[in-house]
Amino acid sequence: MFGYVVANMDKLTEEEKQQYRSCYCGLCKSLGNRHGAISRITLTYDMTFLVLFLSALYGKDTAPAKERCMIHPLKAHEYWQNEITDYAADMNVALTYYKFLDDWTDDRNILSLLEAKVFQEENKNIAVQYPDKCAAIRDCLDELSLIEKSGELNPDIPSNCFGELMGELFVLREDEYAQRLRTFGRSLGKFIYIMDACMDLKDDIEKEHYNPMVTTSSENFSTILNLLMADCTEKYKQLLISRDKDLIENILYSGIWTKYEAVKNKRKERQKQ
Amino acid sequence: MISAPYKVIGVLPTASDEEIAKAYRKMAKKYHPDVNHGAPEAAKRMSEINAAYEQIKSEKASRKSGGGYSGPTAYGGGSPFGQNGPFGGFGSYGNSQQRSAYSEFDTVRHYIRAGHYREALNVLDSIPTRSAEWYYCSAVANAGIGNKITALEHARRAVQMEPNNLEYQRVLQQIVNGGSAYQQQSQGYGIPIISMNKICIGLCLANLCCKICGG
Repeated sequence: MFGYVVANMDKLTEEEKQQYRSCYCGLCKSLGNRHGAISRITLTYDMTFLVLFLSALYGKDTAPAKERCMIHPLKAHEYWQNEITDYAADMNVALTYYKFLDDWTDDRNILSLLEAKVFQEENKNIAVQYPDKCAAIRDCLDELSLIEKSGELNPDIPSNCFGELMGELFVLREDEYAQRLRTFGRSLGKFIYIMDACMDLKDDIEKEHYNPMVTTSSENFSTILNLLMADCTEKYKQLLISRDKDLIENILYSGIWTKYEAVKNKRKERQKQ
Repeated sequence: MISAPYKVIGVLPTASDEEIAKAYRKMAKKYHPDVNHGAPEAAKRMSEINAAYEQIKSEKASRKSGGGYSGPTAYGGGSPFGQNGPFGGFGSYGNSQQRSAYSEFDTVRHYIRAGHYREALNVLDSIPTRSAEWYYCSAVANAGIGNKITALEHARRAVQMEPNNLEYQRVLQQIVNGGSAYQQQSQGYGIPIISMNKICIGLCLANLCCKICGG
């Protein structure tokens, strides 16, 4: 995953910051408990957002507990967990496993195979518990690598494919929210994939790697990305979330641009020199 | 249409898909405007290369199946606009051109008005000449199924080819404006600055591990 779905911390209230941190720490803890300490390295902000978002939608318990953890041994800190935290931790490991497996199949990179092996045992249990999710992740990643290999120039095609994957991750269960969650997840995934491609374009051209935005003039990137996020927030509004609304909107309207803006700034500074 | 697309890319017509993709990327490295700091010659060359590559790919695809990548996600998911379509007054043609004979575009417009965007795209795929009208219809149909990037690109091309056509201009504006309300609200937050360490230093460690492993 990419880790782009973060909050703009400067614009959060103290309570919102605390809520965000506790969600993050809860997921980190759940990963460690369920899948071993090593799995914590797979933790991403994208998954933290998934926990925050679904917990708010389903009104799940987010009452914080306190503890000291390995990373902060001196100061006790707050965290919260619920069934969605565990779901996200499982999905995080499955994603990591299939991604490494895919990289191994594509590039025969031995490191990827070793990493896939690390999570193979853990993923066995997850695949039994969530056969549909795991099949969806695997199929989307397989299809995406076929599209990328074919050198597809239409950016909608690979980004729809990645969106499909994200859409499935947002569907916790087939209920009244499922379809709206799926379309929201799809549009968010699509945005993430394209933003990543926009940021990597120059490097990819220089390294002669595939990039779906290669035929699009970079002057249009901002228009395109805004269109995609506008679409995503339209779908977000359909879900009528009231809890943690400001925090979630901070992420969708501002935080999500953090890395993009950082890369843009770095480029500008380099050009000045 | 380009008469010798393979020559432009610099491969033989017998080259495999992978070889063609590789050759294309080599060309992009030389001529892409983003690595050439706006040299006008390079930009012109790059658009020739893009056109040639697209032509080769669509010729190959039509020999194999039917038009472009044809996997399950080729054309977005679900219509976001419901049955009435994104563009209210679509299809009010006739004021600019006199039509006497039946045209494939009548079928395309019919499908679009009914909200059958996928069917409209299938008919468009079968039309070999890409006129301004083709790009215009493709923009509307692609917007209808959520392929926003293609929609924007094709609306731009339609306007470029026929700058005085008000209908094309209106659709382009409508597509571009789709993002403006979001952009306004987003700018209200100011530019987000990276302050990841405010969340958890553990993540920095985690990221470091991922970098080491190459993930």
